Amino acid sequence: MGVGDAVKNLVIRNLSKTYFDVYAGTQVTAVRDVSLNVPESEFISIVGPSGCGKSTILNMIAGFIPHSSGEILVGGKPVNGPGPDRGVVFQSFALFPWRTVLENVAFGPKMRGVGKVEREKIAHEFLALAKLSEAAGRYPNELSGGMQQRVGVARALANEPDVLLMDEPFASVDAQTRMTLQEELTRIWEAKRPTVIFITHDVAEAVFLANRVVALSKGKVLDEIEVDLPRPRVWDDLHENEQFKSLTARVLQLVRSA
Amino acid sequence: MTKRSFISALWFCAPFAVLIVLWAILIPYFDVNPRLFPHLTAVVQAGIEGIQDGTLVQHIGASLLRVAVGTLLALLVAIPLGVAMGVSPVVSTFLTPLFRFFSVLAGIAWIPIATLWFGYGFGAITFIIFNAVFFIVTYNTLLGVSTIPLHVRNAAASLGAGRWAMLTEVLLPGALPNIVTGIRTGMGFAWRGLIAAEMIATNVGLGYMLFVARDFYKTEVIVLGMIVIGVLWLLLDRLLLAPIERATIERWGMVQRA
Repeated sequence: MGVGDAVKNLVIRNLSKTYFDVYAGTQVTAVRDVSLNVPESEFISIVGPSGCGKSTILNMIAGFIPHSSGEILVGGKPVNGPGPDRGVVFQSFALFPWRTVLENVAFGPKMRGVGKVEREKIAHEFLALAKLSEAAGRYPNELSGGMQQRVGVARALANEPDVLLMDEPFASVDAQTRMTLQEELTRIWEAKRPTVIFITHDVAEAVFLANRVVALSKGKVLDEIEVDLPRPRVWDDLHENEQFKSLTARVLQLVRSA
Repeated sequence: MTKRSFISALWFCAPFAVLIVLWAILIPYFDVNPRLFPHLTAVVQAGIEGIQDGTLVQHIGASLLRVAVGTLLALLVAIPLGVAMGVSPVVSTFLTPLFRFFSVLAGIAWIPIATLWFGYGFGAITFIIFNAVFFIVTYNTLLGVSTIPLHVRNAAASLGAGRWAMLTEVLLPGALPNIVTGIRTGMGFAWRGLIAAEMIATNVGLGYMLFVARDFYKTEVIVLGMIVIGVLWLLLDRLLLAPIERATIERWGMVQRA
Protein backbone atom coordinates (compact mmCIF):
# COMPACT_ATOMS: atom_id res chain seq x y z
CA MET A 1 0.00 0.00 0.00
CA GLY A 2 2.42 2.69 1.17
CA VAL A 3 5.39 3.31 -1.09
CA GLY A 4 8.79 2.97 0.56
CA ASP A 5 7.51 0.94 3.50
CA ALA A 6 8.96 -2.45 4.39
CA VAL A 7 7.80 -5.35 2.25
CA LYS A 8 4.41 -6.51 3.49
CA ASN A 9 4.85 -10.19 3.00
CA LEU A 10 4.55 -13.29 5.15
CA VAL A 11 7.06 -16.12 5.30
CA ILE A 12 6.42 -19.29 7.30
CA ARG A 13 9.20 -21.85 7.64
CA ASN A 14 8.80 -25.35 9.10
CA LEU A 15 6.08 -24.21 11.48
CA SER A 16 4.86 -26.77 14.01
CA LYS A 17 2.55 -26.75 17.00
CA THR A 18 2.40 -29.51 19.56
CA TYR A 19 0.53 -29.39 22.82
CA PHE A 20 -0.31 -31.76 25.65
CA ASP A 21 -3.88 -33.02 25.45
CA VAL A 22 -5.07 -33.36 29.05
CA TYR A 23 -7.98 -35.65 28.13
CA ALA A 24 -6.02 -37.97 25.83
CA GLY A 25 -2.96 -37.78 28.09
CA THR A 26 -0.64 -37.54 25.07
CA GLN A 27 1.25 -34.99 23.00
CA VAL A 28 -0.83 -33.87 20.02
CA THR A 29 0.60 -32.32 16.88
CA ALA A 30 -1.88 -29.77 15.53
CA VAL A 31 0.42 -28.27 12.88
CA ARG A 32 3.23 -30.25 11.29
CA ASP A 33 6.16 -28.66 9.43
CA VAL A 34 4.16 -26.09 7.47
CA SER A 35 6.02 -23.75 5.12
CA LEU A 36 4.30 -20.94 3.20
CA ASN A 37 5.45 -17.95 1.24
CA VAL A 38 2.90 -15.18 0.79
CA PRO A 39 4.22 -12.23 -1.27
CA GLU A 40 2.93 -8.71 -0.73
CA SER A 41 -0.62 -8.10 -2.02
CA GLU A 42 -1.38 -11.76 -2.52
CA PHE A 43 -4.67 -13.26 -1.34
CA ILE A 44 -4.32 -16.84 -0.16
CA SER A 45 -6.99 -19.14 1.24
CA ILE A 46 -6.15 -21.96 3.61
CA VAL A 47 -8.87 -24.58 3.31
CA GLY A 48 -9.41 -27.83 5.17
CA PRO A 49 -11.85 -29.75 7.35
CA SER A 50 -12.49 -28.99 11.03
CA GLY A 51 -9.50 -29.89 13.17
CA CYS A 52 -7.00 -29.72 10.31
CA GLY A 53 -5.01 -27.03 12.13
CA LYS A 54 -5.93 -24.06 9.95
CA SER A 55 -7.16 -21.87 12.81
CA THR A 56 -4.12 -22.86 14.88
CA ILE A 57 -1.88 -21.59 12.08
CA LEU A 58 -3.78 -18.29 11.98
CA ASN A 59 -3.64 -17.90 15.77
CA MET A 60 0.12 -18.42 15.67
CA ILE A 61 0.56 -15.85 12.89
CA ALA A 62 -1.60 -13.42 14.87
CA GLY A 63 0.58 -14.07 17.92
CA PHE A 64 -2.34 -15.18 20.09
CA ILE A 65 -0.67 -18.53 20.79
CA PRO A 66 3.06 -19.38 20.69
CA HIS A 67 4.43 -21.78 18.08
CA SER A 68 6.42 -24.85 19.10
CA SER A 69 9.05 -24.67 16.38
CA GLY A 70 9.79 -23.02 13.05
CA GLU A 71 9.63 -19.38 12.02
CA ILE A 72 6.96 -16.80 11.21
CA LEU A 73 8.25 -13.62 9.55
CA VAL A 74 6.03 -10.65 8.73
CA GLY A 75 7.85 -8.08 6.60
CA GLY A 76 11.06 -9.87 7.58
CA LYS A 77 10.43 -9.52 11.34
CA PRO A 78 9.74 -12.55 13.55
CA VAL A 79 6.34 -12.72 15.21
CA ASN A 80 6.37 -12.34 18.98
CA GLY A 81 2.85 -11.81 20.31
CA PRO A 82 -0.04 -9.85 18.77
CA GLY A 83 0.67 -6.57 16.99
CA PRO A 84 -0.86 -3.97 14.68
CA ASP A 85 1.20 -5.19 11.70
CA ARG A 86 -1.25 -8.13 11.53
CA GLY A 87 -4.95 -7.21 11.40
CA VAL A 88 -7.38 -9.92 12.41
CA VAL A 89 -11.01 -10.48 11.37
CA PHE A 90 -12.75 -12.94 13.70
CA GLN A 91 -15.55 -15.42 13.06
CA SER A 92 -17.33 -14.02 16.13
CA PHE A 93 -16.74 -10.42 14.85
CA ALA A 94 -15.20 -9.47 18.26
CA LEU A 95 -16.37 -5.86 17.98
CA PHE A 96 -16.35 -3.62 21.05
CA PRO A 97 -20.03 -3.46 22.05
CA TRP A 98 -19.46 -0.28 24.10
CA ARG A 99 -18.15 1.64 21.10
CA THR A 100 -20.05 2.98 18.10
CA VAL A 101 -19.29 1.60 14.64
CA LEU A 102 -17.18 4.69 13.90
CA GLU A 103 -15.22 4.35 17.15
CA ASN A 104 -14.68 0.63 16.50
CA VAL A 105 -13.14 1.38 13.11
CA ALA A 106 -11.11 4.30 14.51
CA PHE A 107 -9.72 2.10 17.32
CA GLY A 108 -6.51 1.05 15.55
CA PRO A 109 -5.52 4.60 14.52
CA LYS A 110 -6.37 5.75 18.07
CA MET A 111 -3.91 3.19 19.46
CA ARG A 112 -1.28 4.60 17.09
CA GLY A 113 -1.85 8.03 18.59
CA VAL A 114 -3.70 9.54 15.60
CA GLY A 115 -5.75 12.61 16.67
CA LYS A 116 -9.53 12.48 16.89
CA VAL A 117 -10.32 14.45 13.75
CA GLU A 118 -7.81 12.59 11.62
CA ARG A 119 -8.75 9.10 12.88
CA GLU A 120 -12.46 9.75 12.36
CA LYS A 121 -11.66 10.82 8.81
CA ILE A 122 -9.81 7.52 8.31
CA ALA A 123 -12.71 5.59 9.86
CA HIS A 124 -15.25 7.32 7.60
CA GLU A 125 -13.14 6.44 4.58
CA PHE A 126 -13.06 2.74 5.44
CA LEU A 127 -16.72 2.70 6.42
CA ALA A 128 -17.52 4.10 2.99
CA LEU A 129 -15.39 1.37 1.43
CA ALA A 130 -17.42 -1.23 3.34
CA LYS A 131 -20.69 0.55 2.44
CA LEU A 132 -21.40 1.30 6.07
CA SER A 133 -21.46 5.09 6.15
CA GLU A 134 -25.05 5.23 7.42
CA ALA A 135 -24.24 2.97 10.39
CA ALA A 136 -21.36 5.11 11.72
CA GLY A 137 -23.18 6.31 14.84
CA ARG A 138 -24.84 3.02 15.74
CA TYR A 139 -23.74 0.38 18.24
CA PRO A 140 -22.71 -3.12 17.06
CA ASN A 141 -25.67 -4.85 18.74
CA GLU A 142 -28.02 -2.76 16.59
CA LEU A 143 -26.60 -4.26 13.38
CA SER A 144 -27.19 -7.54 11.55
CA GLY A 145 -24.45 -10.19 11.55
CA GLY A 146 -23.45 -9.32 8.00
CA MET A 147 -23.12 -5.63 8.84
CA GLN A 148 -21.18 -6.42 12.01
CA GLN A 149 -18.63 -8.38 9.99
CA ARG A 150 -18.32 -5.49 7.51
CA VAL A 151 -17.37 -3.39 10.53
CA GLY A 152 -14.88 -6.10 11.51
CA VAL A 153 -13.23 -5.94 8.08
CA ALA A 154 -13.23 -2.12 8.01
CA ARG A 155 -11.76 -2.00 11.53
CA ALA A 156 -8.90 -4.34 10.61
CA LEU A 157 -8.15 -2.52 7.33
CA ALA A 158 -8.33 0.98 8.82
CA ASN A 159 -5.20 0.14 10.82
CA GLU A 160 -3.36 -0.52 7.52
CA PRO A 161 -1.81 -3.83 8.61
CA ASP A 162 0.97 -5.51 6.62
CA VAL A 163 -1.04 -8.72 6.62
CA LEU A 164 -4.79 -9.23 7.04
CA LEU A 165 -5.71 -12.47 8.82
CA MET A 166 -9.29 -13.68 8.39
CA ASP A 167 -10.48 -16.60 10.52
CA GLU A 168 -13.63 -18.09 8.91
CA PRO A 169 -15.09 -14.58 8.94
CA PHE A 170 -18.27 -15.39 7.02
CA ALA A 171 -19.07 -18.74 8.66
CA SER A 172 -21.69 -17.30 11.01
CA VAL A 173 -23.80 -15.30 8.54
CA ASP A 174 -26.58 -16.62 6.29
CA ALA A 175 -25.80 -17.97 2.80
CA GLN A 176 -27.12 -14.99 0.80
CA THR A 177 -25.31 -12.45 2.96
CA ARG A 178 -22.17 -14.56 2.77
CA MET A 179 -22.13 -14.36 -1.05
CA THR A 180 -22.53 -10.58 -0.92
CA LEU A 181 -19.73 -10.29 1.65
CA GLN A 182 -17.46 -12.48 -0.47
CA GLU A 183 -18.04 -10.27 -3.53
CA GLU A 184 -17.43 -7.15 -1.47
CA LEU A 185 -14.24 -8.57 -0.02
CA THR A 186 -12.84 -9.18 -3.52
CA ARG A 187 -13.84 -5.64 -4.47
CA ILE A 188 -12.14 -4.18 -1.37
CA TRP A 189 -9.08 -6.32 -1.97
CA GLU A 190 -8.79 -4.97 -5.52
CA ALA A 191 -9.12 -1.41 -4.22
CA LYS A 192 -6.55 -1.71 -1.40
CA ARG A 193 -4.50 -4.79 -2.36
CA PRO A 194 -3.71 -5.95 1.18
CA THR A 195 -1.86 -9.22 1.81
CA VAL A 196 -4.58 -11.62 3.01
CA ILE A 197 -4.60 -15.02 4.71
CA PHE A 198 -8.15 -16.32 4.61
CA ILE A 199 -9.09 -19.41 6.66
CA THR A 200 -12.16 -21.39 5.62
CA HIS A 201 -13.62 -24.89 5.40
CA ASP A 202 -15.72 -23.86 2.38
CA VAL A 203 -13.89 -24.92 -0.82
CA ALA A 204 -15.96 -22.73 -3.17
CA GLU A 205 -15.34 -19.71 -0.95
CA ALA A 206 -11.61 -20.43 -0.86
CA VAL A 207 -11.39 -20.60 -4.68
CA PHE A 208 -13.72 -17.64 -5.26
CA LEU A 209 -11.63 -15.24 -3.15
CA ALA A 210 -8.01 -16.23 -3.55
CA ASN A 211 -5.06 -16.05 -5.93
CA ARG A 212 -3.83 -19.26 -4.38
CA VAL A 213 -5.50 -21.98 -2.33
CA VAL A 214 -3.55 -23.96 0.25
CA ALA A 215 -5.17 -27.31 1.03
CA LEU A 216 -4.55 -28.50 4.56
CA SER A 217 -5.25 -31.79 6.30
CA LYS A 218 -4.13 -33.22 9.64
CA GLY A 219 -1.81 -30.27 10.20
CA LYS A 220 0.05 -30.71 6.90
CA VAL A 221 -0.02 -28.83 3.61
CA LEU A 222 -1.33 -31.19 0.89
CA ASP A 223 -0.87 -28.91 -2.08
CA GLU A 224 -1.10 -25.33 -3.30
CA ILE A 225 -3.34 -24.47 -6.25
CA GLU A 226 -3.01 -21.28 -8.28
CA VAL A 227 -6.32 -19.56 -9.05
CA ASP A 228 -6.01 -17.31 -12.10
CA LEU A 229 -9.68 -16.52 -12.52
CA PRO A 230 -10.33 -13.03 -13.90
CA ARG A 231 -11.35 -10.20 -11.58
CA PRO A 232 -13.65 -8.60 -10.57
CA ARG A 233 -15.22 -11.84 -9.41
CA VAL A 234 -18.98 -12.12 -9.02
CA TRP A 235 -21.01 -15.22 -8.32
CA ASP A 236 -23.33 -14.72 -11.30
CA ASP A 237 -20.34 -15.13 -13.65
CA LEU A 238 -18.50 -17.86 -11.79
CA HIS A 239 -21.38 -20.25 -11.09
CA GLU A 240 -21.28 -21.39 -14.71
CA ASN A 241 -17.55 -20.85 -15.23
CA GLU A 242 -15.84 -24.12 -16.28
CA GLN A 243 -12.46 -23.10 -14.88
CA PHE A 244 -14.02 -22.23 -11.50
CA LYS A 245 -15.84 -25.56 -11.45
CA SER A 246 -12.76 -27.60 -12.26
CA LEU A 247 -10.62 -25.73 -9.71
CA THR A 248 -13.24 -26.25 -7.02
CA ALA A 249 -13.53 -29.92 -7.90
CA ARG A 250 -9.77 -30.33 -7.71
CA VAL A 251 -9.47 -28.70 -4.27
CA LEU A 252 -12.44 -30.65 -2.97
CA GLN A 253 -10.92 -33.91 -4.15
CA LEU A 254 -7.61 -33.03 -2.46
CA VAL A 255 -9.21 -32.18 0.85
CA ARG A 256 -11.53 -35.20 0.85
CA SER A 257 -8.94 -37.77 -0.21
CA ALA A 258 -6.58 -36.96 2.65
CA MET B 1 -40.82 12.48 30.69
CA THR B 2 -42.60 10.53 27.96
CA LYS B 3 -46.25 9.59 28.23
CA ARG B 4 -45.37 5.92 28.63
CA SER B 5 -42.94 6.44 31.50
CA PHE B 6 -45.42 8.80 33.16
CA ILE B 7 -48.09 6.08 33.07
CA SER B 8 -45.67 3.47 34.40
CA ALA B 9 -44.71 5.84 37.24
CA LEU B 10 -48.41 6.30 37.97
CA TRP B 11 -48.90 2.53 38.14
CA PHE B 12 -45.91 2.27 40.47
CA CYS B 13 -47.48 4.78 42.86
CA ALA B 14 -51.01 3.34 42.73
CA PRO B 15 -50.65 0.60 45.40
CA PHE B 16 -49.03 3.11 47.78
CA ALA B 17 -51.96 5.48 47.27
CA VAL B 18 -54.35 2.66 48.17
CA LEU B 19 -52.31 1.86 51.27
CA ILE B 20 -52.35 5.51 52.39
CA VAL B 21 -56.11 5.78 51.88
CA LEU B 22 -56.68 2.59 53.91
CA TRP B 23 -54.41 3.97 56.62
CA ALA B 24 -56.29 7.28 56.74
CA ILE B 25 -59.63 5.47 57.06
CA LEU B 26 -58.95 2.34 59.15
CA ILE B 27 -56.76 3.69 61.98
CA PRO B 28 -59.32 6.33 63.14
CA TYR B 29 -62.24 3.91 62.42
CA PHE B 30 -60.89 1.26 64.80
CA ASP B 31 -59.56 3.93 67.15
CA VAL B 32 -56.06 2.38 67.27
CA ASN B 33 -53.89 3.42 70.20
CA PRO B 34 -51.27 5.93 68.84
CA ARG B 35 -48.69 4.16 71.06
CA LEU B 36 -49.10 1.12 68.76
CA PHE B 37 -49.66 2.78 65.40
CA PRO B 38 -49.92 6.50 64.53
CA HIS B 39 -52.58 8.38 62.59
CA LEU B 40 -51.63 9.53 59.11
CA THR B 41 -52.06 13.17 60.22
CA ALA B 42 -49.64 12.67 63.14
CA VAL B 43 -46.96 11.33 60.78
CA VAL B 44 -47.46 14.23 58.37
CA GLN B 45 -47.27 16.59 61.36
CA ALA B 46 -44.05 14.92 62.57
CA GLY B 47 -42.61 15.29 59.08
CA ILE B 48 -43.43 18.99 58.90
CA GLU B 49 -41.99 19.58 62.37
CA GLY B 50 -38.85 17.63 61.52
CA ILE B 51 -38.28 19.75 58.44
CA GLN B 52 -39.08 23.03 60.24
CA ASP B 53 -36.78 22.42 63.21
CA GLY B 54 -34.13 20.87 60.97
CA THR B 55 -33.76 17.59 62.87
CA LEU B 56 -35.14 15.39 60.06
CA VAL B 57 -32.87 17.11 57.53
CA GLN B 58 -29.95 16.60 59.88
CA HIS B 59 -30.66 12.87 60.24
CA ILE B 60 -31.11 12.41 56.49
CA GLY B 61 -27.94 14.39 55.78
CA ALA B 62 -25.90 12.31 58.23
CA SER B 63 -27.16 9.03 56.73
CA LEU B 64 -26.63 10.08 53.11
CA LEU B 65 -23.15 11.43 53.83
CA ARG B 66 -22.10 8.09 55.39
CA VAL B 67 -23.45 6.16 52.40
CA ALA B 68 -21.72 8.50 49.94
CA VAL B 69 -18.33 8.41 51.69
CA GLY B 70 -18.44 4.65 52.36
CA THR B 71 -19.51 3.82 48.80
CA LEU B 72 -16.98 6.14 47.18
CA LEU B 73 -14.09 4.77 49.24
CA ALA B 74 -15.21 1.22 48.48
CA LEU B 75 -15.41 1.87 44.70
CA LEU B 76 -11.96 3.48 44.68
CA VAL B 77 -10.45 0.29 46.09
CA ALA B 78 -12.81 -2.38 44.73
CA ILE B 79 -12.73 -1.59 40.99
CA PRO B 80 -8.92 -1.50 40.53
CA LEU B 81 -8.55 -4.56 42.75
CA GLY B 82 -11.28 -6.46 40.88
CA VAL B 83 -9.69 -5.66 37.52
CA ALA B 84 -6.23 -6.65 38.73
CA MET B 85 -7.56 -9.97 39.98
CA GLY B 86 -9.77 -10.58 36.97
CA VAL B 87 -6.98 -10.45 34.37
CA SER B 88 -5.30 -13.49 35.88
CA PRO B 89 -7.51 -16.61 35.68
CA VAL B 90 -5.53 -18.31 38.43
CA VAL B 91 -5.92 -15.42 40.86
CA SER B 92 -9.61 -14.92 40.09
CA THR B 93 -10.41 -18.62 40.49
CA PHE B 94 -8.51 -18.71 43.77
CA LEU B 95 -10.13 -15.60 45.27
CA THR B 96 -13.70 -16.03 44.01
CA PRO B 97 -14.91 -18.23 46.93
CA LEU B 98 -13.43 -15.80 49.43
CA PHE B 99 -15.23 -12.82 47.93
CA ARG B 100 -18.50 -14.71 47.61
CA PHE B 101 -18.26 -15.55 51.31
CA PHE B 102 -17.62 -11.95 52.35
CA SER B 103 -20.29 -10.64 49.96
CA VAL B 104 -22.87 -12.59 51.94
CA LEU B 105 -21.36 -11.76 55.31
CA ALA B 106 -20.95 -8.03 54.68
CA GLY B 107 -23.41 -5.93 56.63
CA ILE B 108 -24.46 -5.81 60.22
CA ALA B 109 -22.30 -8.81 61.15
CA TRP B 110 -19.40 -6.35 61.07
CA ILE B 111 -20.93 -3.94 63.60
CA PRO B 112 -19.43 -5.42 66.80
CA ILE B 113 -15.90 -5.54 65.45
CA ALA B 114 -16.30 -2.17 63.71
CA THR B 115 -17.23 -0.46 66.99
CA LEU B 116 -14.21 -2.06 68.67
CA TRP B 117 -11.91 -0.75 65.96
CA PHE B 118 -13.42 2.68 65.29
CA GLY B 119 -15.50 3.44 68.38
CA TYR B 120 -19.11 4.65 68.15
CA GLY B 121 -19.79 7.12 65.33
CA PHE B 122 -18.89 8.03 61.77
CA GLY B 123 -15.90 5.70 61.38
CA ALA B 124 -17.66 2.49 62.40
CA ILE B 125 -20.74 3.18 60.27
CA THR B 126 -18.74 4.20 57.20
CA PHE B 127 -16.79 0.96 57.63
CA ILE B 128 -20.07 -1.03 57.52
CA ILE B 129 -21.05 0.74 54.29
CA PHE B 130 -17.56 0.25 52.87
CA ASN B 131 -17.72 -3.50 53.53
CA ALA B 132 -21.18 -3.92 52.06
CA VAL B 133 -20.14 -2.23 48.81
CA PHE B 134 -16.50 -3.31 48.65
CA PHE B 135 -16.87 -7.10 48.59
CA ILE B 136 -19.77 -7.18 46.17
CA VAL B 137 -18.25 -4.68 43.74
CA THR B 138 -14.85 -6.39 43.83
CA TYR B 139 -16.47 -9.77 43.20
CA ASN B 140 -18.60 -8.39 40.35
CA THR B 141 -15.68 -6.53 38.76
CA LEU B 142 -13.61 -9.71 38.89
CA LEU B 143 -16.49 -11.64 37.36
CA GLY B 144 -17.01 -8.97 34.69
CA VAL B 145 -13.37 -8.86 33.64
CA SER B 146 -12.99 -12.62 33.54
CA THR B 147 -16.08 -13.03 31.33
CA ILE B 148 -14.93 -10.61 28.60
CA PRO B 149 -14.59 -12.87 25.53
CA LEU B 150 -10.98 -13.73 24.71
CA HIS B 151 -11.63 -12.72 21.09
CA VAL B 152 -12.45 -9.16 22.13
CA ARG B 153 -9.21 -8.87 24.10
CA ASN B 154 -7.28 -10.44 21.20
CA ALA B 155 -8.91 -7.97 18.80
CA ALA B 156 -7.74 -5.04 20.91
CA ALA B 157 -4.21 -6.47 21.17
CA SER B 158 -3.97 -7.01 17.42
CA LEU B 159 -5.11 -3.42 16.85
CA GLY B 160 -2.16 -2.22 18.90
CA ALA B 161 -3.65 -1.80 22.40
CA GLY B 162 -0.96 -1.76 25.09
CA ARG B 163 -1.52 -2.52 28.78
CA TRP B 164 -3.05 0.83 29.68
CA ALA B 165 -5.35 0.93 26.65
CA MET B 166 -6.39 -2.66 27.34
CA LEU B 167 -7.45 -1.55 30.81
CA THR B 168 -9.30 1.63 29.88
CA GLU B 169 -10.67 0.61 26.48
CA VAL B 170 -11.54 -3.05 27.05
CA LEU B 171 -11.41 -4.35 30.62
CA LEU B 172 -13.22 -1.50 32.38
CA PRO B 173 -16.00 -0.97 29.83
CA GLY B 174 -16.33 -4.73 29.38
CA ALA B 175 -16.78 -5.23 33.11
CA LEU B 176 -19.06 -2.20 33.50
CA PRO B 177 -22.38 -4.13 33.37
CA ASN B 178 -21.19 -6.28 36.26
CA ILE B 179 -19.73 -3.29 38.10
CA VAL B 180 -23.02 -1.39 37.89
CA THR B 181 -24.95 -4.45 39.06
CA GLY B 182 -22.47 -4.77 41.92
CA ILE B 183 -22.94 -1.13 42.92
CA ARG B 184 -26.73 -1.45 42.86
CA THR B 185 -26.75 -4.62 44.95
CA GLY B 186 -23.97 -3.39 47.23
CA MET B 187 -25.69 -0.09 47.94
CA GLY B 188 -28.93 -1.95 48.66
CA PHE B 189 -27.11 -3.97 51.32
CA ALA B 190 -25.27 -0.86 52.49
CA TRP B 191 -28.52 1.02 53.01
CA ARG B 192 -29.98 -1.78 55.12
CA GLY B 193 -26.72 -2.13 57.04
CA LEU B 194 -26.59 1.60 57.59
CA ILE B 195 -29.98 1.76 59.34
CA ALA B 196 -29.07 -1.18 61.57
CA ALA B 197 -25.66 0.28 62.40
CA GLU B 198 -27.13 3.68 63.19
CA MET B 199 -29.44 2.11 65.76
CA ILE B 200 -26.43 0.83 67.64
CA ALA B 201 -23.37 2.87 66.93
CA THR B 202 -24.19 6.58 66.71
CA ASN B 203 -26.27 9.54 67.90
CA VAL B 204 -27.45 10.98 64.59
CA GLY B 205 -28.97 9.49 61.41
CA LEU B 206 -32.25 7.89 60.35
CA GLY B 207 -31.63 4.61 62.19
CA TYR B 208 -30.86 6.50 65.38
CA MET B 209 -34.00 8.63 64.93
CA LEU B 210 -36.15 5.47 64.71
CA PHE B 211 -34.54 3.80 67.66
CA VAL B 212 -34.76 6.76 70.02
CA ALA B 213 -38.41 7.43 69.10
CA ARG B 214 -39.23 3.93 70.35
CA ASP B 215 -38.11 4.87 73.87
CA PHE B 216 -40.73 7.64 73.92
CA TYR B 217 -43.52 5.64 72.24
CA LYS B 218 -43.40 8.16 69.37
CA THR B 219 -44.80 5.81 66.74
CA GLU B 220 -45.39 8.72 64.34
CA VAL B 221 -41.61 9.37 64.25
CA ILE B 222 -40.88 5.65 63.80
CA VAL B 223 -43.27 5.34 60.88
CA LEU B 224 -42.05 8.64 59.41
CA GLY B 225 -38.48 7.30 59.58
CA MET B 226 -39.48 4.03 57.90
CA ILE B 227 -41.19 5.92 55.09
CA VAL B 228 -38.20 8.25 54.61
CA ILE B 229 -35.79 5.28 54.55
CA GLY B 230 -37.84 3.49 51.89
CA VAL B 231 -38.49 6.56 49.76
CA LEU B 232 -34.86 7.69 49.87
CA TRP B 233 -33.70 4.28 48.66
CA LEU B 234 -36.25 4.21 45.85
CA LEU B 235 -35.20 7.70 44.74
CA LEU B 236 -31.52 6.75 44.90
CA ASP B 237 -32.08 3.57 42.91
CA ARG B 238 -34.57 4.93 40.37
CA LEU B 239 -33.14 8.40 39.82
CA LEU B 240 -29.42 7.71 40.14
CA LEU B 241 -28.46 4.04 39.67
CA ALA B 242 -31.05 2.84 37.15
CA PRO B 243 -30.47 5.76 34.72
CA ILE B 244 -26.71 5.13 34.79
CA GLU B 245 -27.37 1.52 33.83
CA ARG B 246 -29.77 2.55 31.05
CA ALA B 247 -27.51 5.26 29.63
CA THR B 248 -24.67 2.84 29.00
CA ILE B 249 -25.01 -0.89 29.08
CA GLU B 250 -28.57 -1.28 27.81
CA ARG B 251 -27.66 0.83 24.80
CA TRP B 252 -24.73 -1.48 24.12
CA GLY B 253 -26.99 -4.52 24.33
CA MET B 254 -24.84 -6.07 27.05
CA VAL B 255 -27.72 -6.33 29.50
CA GLN B 256 -31.28 -6.83 28.37
CA ARG B 257 -33.91 -4.70 30.02
CA ALA B 258 -35.82 -6.80 32.55
